[in-house]
Amino acid sequence: MKKVFLAIRFDRTTAMQKSSVINCKSNHNQLKIFSNLKEILLMSMRTKFVPYQKTILVLSAIILIAYGFMSCGQKFSPAIADKVDFNYDIRPILVQKCYLCHGPDPGSRKGNLRLDTYEGATAVLKDGLKAINPEHGEKSLVLVRINHKDPDIMMPTPESNLKLTEREIALIEKWIDQGAEWKPHWALIPAKESQAVKEFKGNPIDYFINQKLAENDLKSSAEADKNSLIRRVSYVLTGLPPDPNSINKFIADNSANAYEKMVDQYLQAPQFGERWARHWMDLVRYAETKGHEFDYTISGAWRYRDYLIRAFNNDVPYDQLIQEQLAGDLLQKPRINESEKINESQIGTMFYTMAEGTHSPVDVRKDEADRIDNMIDVTGKAFQALTISCARCHDHKFDPISTKDYYSFYGVMEGTRFAPIPANVLEASNKVRELQSINDTIRKEIVTNWMKNYSGNASTKITLASSNNIEKPTDGILLGDFSKTDFDGWKSDGLAFTNGTTLGDPVFNAQHKIVGLQEGRASSRRLSTGIFGALRSPDFVINNNFIGVNAAGKKASIRVVIDNFQLIQWPIYGGMDQHVDTSKFINIVFDVTQWKGHKAYIELLPGIYETHVFKMSNDAYIEAKYAIGFDKEWFEPALELQPTAVDATQALYAVAEQKASFTDLKLINTLLRSKRLSSQFSNMQPLLERKTALQQSFTDSIEFLNGVSDGCGTNSPVFIRGNHKELSKDPVQRSFISAIKVANPNFNVKGSGRLQLAASITDPKNTLTSRVMVNRIWHHLFGRGIVETVDNFGMQGKLPSHPELLDHLAIQFQKDRYSIKKTIRSILLSNAFKRSAVPVEKAAKEDPSNIWLSHYPIRRLEAEAIRDAMLAASGKLDKTLYGIPVLAYIDSFMNGRGKPAVSGPLDGKGRRSLYLEVRRNFLNPMLTTFDRPMPFSAFGKRTVTNVPSQSLILLNDPFVFQEAEFMAKQLLAKKITALDARIRWVYQRSLGRNPQPDEIADADLLMNQLKKTYASKGVKENIELIIWKDYIHSVFNLKEFIYLN
Amino acid sequence: MTEQKHPIYKPFSRREMLGACKCGFGSMAFASLFGSILPSCSGASSGQTDFMNHLSNGPKAPGLIPKAKSIIFLYMDGGVSQVDSFDPKPRLEKENGEDPTSKFKVDATQFGNVGKILKSPWTFKKYGESGMEVSELFPHIATCVDDMALVRSMVSNFPEHTNANYFLHTGSGLQGRPSMGAWMNYGLGSENNNLPGYVLLDGGLIPPGGLDNFKNGFLPAAFQASILRPGATPLANVRPIDSIAGIQDEKLAFMKRRDQNLLSKLGPADEIESAISNYELAYKMQSSIPELTEFSAESEATKKLYGLDSADPFTRSYAAQCLLARRLVERGVRFIELTCPQTNGSDRWDQHANLKIGHENNARAVDQPIAGLLKDLKLRGLLDETLVVWSGEFGRTPFAQGNDGRDHNPSAFSMWMAGAGVKGGTVFGTTDEYGYRVVDNPVTIHDLHATMLHLLGIDHKQLTFRFGGRDFRLTDVHGNVVKDILA
Repeated sequence: MKKVFLAIRFDRTTAMQKSSVINCKSNHNQLKIFSNLKEILLMSMRTKFVPYQKTILVLSAIILIAYGFMSCGQKFSPAIADKVDFNYDIRPILVQKCYLCHGPDPGSRKGNLRLDTYEGATAVLKDGLKAINPEHGEKSLVLVRINHKDPDIMMPTPESNLKLTEREIALIEKWIDQGAEWKPHWALIPAKESQAVKEFKGNPIDYFINQKLAENDLKSSAEADKNSLIRRVSYVLTGLPPDPNSINKFIADNSANAYEKMVDQYLQAPQFGERWARHWMDLVRYAETKGHEFDYTISGAWRYRDYLIRAFNNDVPYDQLIQEQLAGDLLQKPRINESEKINESQIGTMFYTMAEGTHSPVDVRKDEADRIDNMIDVTGKAFQALTISCARCHDHKFDPISTKDYYSFYGVMEGTRFAPIPANVLEASNKVRELQSINDTIRKEIVTNWMKNYSGNASTKITLASSNNIEKPTDGILLGDFSKTDFDGWKSDGLAFTNGTTLGDPVFNAQHKIVGLQEGRASSRRLSTGIFGALRSPDFVINNNFIGVNAAGKKASIRVVIDNFQLIQWPIYGGMDQHVDTSKFINIVFDVTQWKGHKAYIELLPGIYETHVFKMSNDAYIEAKYAIGFDKEWFEPALELQPTAVDATQALYAVAEQKASFTDLKLINTLLRSKRLSSQFSNMQPLLERKTALQQSFTDSIEFLNGVSDGCGTNSPVFIRGNHKELSKDPVQRSFISAIKVANPNFNVKGSGRLQLAASITDPKNTLTSRVMVNRIWHHLFGRGIVETVDNFGMQGKLPSHPELLDHLAIQFQKDRYSIKKTIRSILLSNAFKRSAVPVEKAAKEDPSNIWLSHYPIRRLEAEAIRDAMLAASGKLDKTLYGIPVLAYIDSFMNGRGKPAVSGPLDGKGRRSLYLEVRRNFLNPMLTTFDRPMPFSAFGKRTVTNVPSQSLILLNDPFVFQEAEFMAKQLLAKKITALDARIRWVYQRSLGRNPQPDEIADADLLMNQLKKTYASKGVKENIELIIWKDYIHSVFNLKEFIYLN
Repeated sequence: MTEQKHPIYKPFSRREMLGACKCGFGSMAFASLFGSILPSCSGASSGQTDFMNHLSNGPKAPGLIPKAKSIIFLYMDGGVSQVDSFDPKPRLEKENGEDPTSKFKVDATQFGNVGKILKSPWTFKKYGESGMEVSELFPHIATCVDDMALVRSMVSNFPEHTNANYFLHTGSGLQGRPSMGAWMNYGLGSENNNLPGYVLLDGGLIPPGGLDNFKNGFLPAAFQASILRPGATPLANVRPIDSIAGIQDEKLAFMKRRDQNLLSKLGPADEIESAISNYELAYKMQSSIPELTEFSAESEATKKLYGLDSADPFTRSYAAQCLLARRLVERGVRFIELTCPQTNGSDRWDQHANLKIGHENNARAVDQPIAGLLKDLKLRGLLDETLVVWSGEFGRTPFAQGNDGRDHNPSAFSMWMAGAGVKGGTVFGTTDEYGYRVVDNPVTIHDLHATMLHLLGIDHKQLTFRFGGRDFRLTDVHGNVVKDILA
């Protein structure tokens, strides 16, 4: 039988006394002896169901193995602090080594013990003991299990492949000894301003940085030289090298605030927005195509990019940016850009639609679940640095995020519909308002006139014949009836459909004479054609074989959107998008047999999708009378025509109030036909002419972007184990992540709840939001965040290196009205940022990762900055802001479906890298190789790799070579002839500094060698250009060129 | 965002290398460039405070005894019809032309154009000692059956190409996950420091889903596939752009002088040191990669074996890829995938119509080269340490789409493996009498991945990478090694 050792670790002092083998000093002096050893052992045996005999054996074979801390202070770095902190010392151990079996997820919980809550950890277990006993630390069962040597008893179990280090065990012991103080996860504790910093004169940032340096006994490096500073500031703020003029100006400026002025110059540069927009684009998986099989276009993606550039340049408050991206279509006061005539807020919602788009998924519900999962994933990481999507299949294994939280989020996303949004129609809305007012005036005029002059008796009643009262077949269902004034619960988005049907709209002939009042129908040209709008049904469950819409239109379409699946096309979904091109009302049938039981909505659009790009021509329109579901036979809905007498006066009132019924309408039209109502109005002509003029003015072609519109309030059930076919009985009420304490707005609204989501994230009490953002800013300025895992502030993420600094920045950020520029500025003005990149010796040795920022961290430039730097140096750089992307350059290695017919230019027309088209399936090899992330999730932190393909690009890529040649030509065209002046010109533009004499000599040496080699091969023509090109190409290959220090 | 400690992120410092590894700086730095894992070094990160480090979790050295050093993945893009290749179904012959919906429940298909039961246009014969049945589409591969383990019970989760391709290549139906080749290199690294560890031989057809099938996803970019194409420049930028020999050398010497000068000013800067050494490797690749694609040293008999002399240009093209695959294996490349050539008029193996012509064109292109590869590897003693895997992303329906095509079928398809650790002559798993669904021993894509990793000596449950707060695996939370097909 296996010999079982039971290791009970006594206090080090005890151990030392009992076994003189180990000589160790301990700072624990308190003698701890387990008062009820036998009981503890019995219990621990039982929990593992060890056979009785074995238990006996174990008890009789207790060998106390003492092992103390050897050579204290050397092995454990850093030393254990006097006061053990739960969040910084203990929780990381629990998360890493215990939570897989004793964490928040009940599905994987063992022994009914959870160590993620205080209540769980201190609960009385079935044998009367507690895992952690704060009052009597020595009775804590945890201590027994983590010190045990029996593989059946020890924790973590051998099968888990996890092992506690001695230091970790010591930490846990000391923590329990000190009373096992429990705290919520650090990121969920509201940010708190440190009091001490208020006394500090100087930049508060330096207070915190210097404090840590002092704690770690480190000296900081001196301030960097001015060349390094301007290059550093220029790159971190604009992503471009400083131009020689700015360098010279800064070097020459000896005023006290020269640095500050220089920083402000770059903060105000339009290139600032470009740089910081690209940072944000990494978070939102920015792309211009949808990837998957055919790489379809995401309409107007570039408008979102431009929106970001403008927003960062104008320092739009961060909370505003969040609200726009999450609910820009719903804001009461959208941010209108008057000069560009655009609704900025609405563009923000492209945040959602940047995702991958699947080609013809057979399981459309699963496709929806995957798409929503991506939306949740990106939203959670981008704004809260929480990995919410980990809770899709089970409660989060580490963080306090349950599947319930996940599906409460899911409902918000499920009630959000992807939709074409007009990008440039602000001007049109004024015309639309005028048209609306003309229509109102006309109607009022007519009704007033009729009321006044009505020739019959006021109480004239007319009996109308009943017609069209067809019985509804039992298998049919009316999905929408537009014969009345309202849309029967359908939602009118945009301006075209107005707020009601055409019921009662007067129809004039060419002589401006009324020929009758219109019947009710939904119409996108109620005011005019050329106006965009969409009419969408509520979500419904498909219960019939067919869906039918009685409609007419021109260049229009009707779509049945199943489970929010938008990329409707062959095979499978082709029939769900039908074009309408007939002025006569026809029955349009959708065969939905195979989707019975699925959720769907119907959408009427005065335009058509061409390969998933929505287009609308100026004469396009769509009208519909009703929509039905049926199994065998089409049916017409019964029109509510009351066969009884109707009061004419009341009917007139009803028309005036836009509340007329079909019966009212019949009555008035009868009176009109019998000339008992006048049809000629003297004052109509100017109104009608103005109306016609306005209608003819809608000639601009509207461009669309893929935004969102609000759908129905949807509470989703939990998908058990993430399986969309296995649902919980009850849906989960939409709400915000329960672990984050906010004002908790009521999510139980008719729409998606995105406004409430945005409100929760931007709630000032939710300091996680500002912590996450200031940390991102810090990350971009220093190359590493205060929390290194910028997208994960959960328990699996890293802890902040400077928690008080993080809180200070977060609180200041809120005080500064969420000004990103102010936050950046204050960091840039700190001494910490200005330090030289050369470490003092001790720091290099003791803090090689430079966690305490004794010096500025050296880092490689980002992919875009490397490419842009070449363009800037060569003189090719086109600083044009904004606009449609430059077509992707396609080389011979880039193949596959959806490959663009035409390749863009090699040099991207000299535009900055963020203007190069991002085609998901044809990502730019140079940018990808230099670690621009693949657009599928939020990447707040790029990996920095070092691979030979990077060197091969710099050495052999035709783009790099071409730019070197371009730069050489620029140089030779100048009137500079002296070698040192030429080298200086190259150095200033490429490296932001002047060359040293040895660098000039080395350049001379290289060029002489090259000249000889070329001569030996008989190359004589253009030799000067060739060798300067080679020299510049070599400079582009220098590490100094691609590293920031 | 990644939270993993890995040599790729943080190149070893000079001190760490020289101190811990007792070998020169230059060679050590190269070792990390293609993702080689150096267990003796990877733990070294002195000075990091403990709490910063508490999550670092290096990739695992192979925990099991590896059978295979390399894998050649023969990807049959589009989905080969199992009932026409490796899974004979006499019942289709009998019931040819009958309505399948009267026989069994037919699942939704991609094109929804369900026709009649369609017998195979090809006959099957038994081959080898094992008597494995193979259709006349593959007369050459049929001569290798005793080295092959055939799985007739493969299932996929997706009936559409793109998702199924991502699933087969990355273990997830979604875009953006690391490819299996990336995972295997992450786990083991390359054995050749002058070549990438994961090579895609682009035969002309990049499958639906595009190059994302072969990318690194959230793993470091070093682990993505390097695409090799036939022609003078097999790898992007691998030919010196300088028109005259010697020029590049002079430029490189200059760069080295200047870079060393920078280093002397900055003090120890590990990142920059590694980037410098990177150039030396890039320099070597300029000759090592073109040398690879140069077949002049191969004997005529070898070339013939592969079919390089075939009258069919597509056979010749695939033969060149297969031969190149062997040369890569010889040089220690870890994972090599071959995509299919673009045969005339056939859209990959995806015969929604014209099954007979399409499958024959595709089979002709790959049959002899694959058999040649297996025989050549065996001849050179390489088959024992090389795993060859042949698979599409799914199978095809036993009933027609229209009249003469077959639609996608994820519910059953055939896959075979040969070489290292594989029990030759085995047939595993069965489908129903129509070959429509698996009835016995289903093997999932996760199982396939688990088995491939197992043969490389990696426990698929131990190969994890932390991304976005989760330890991701190639096999997600699934996967069982298919022990029955292992020797």
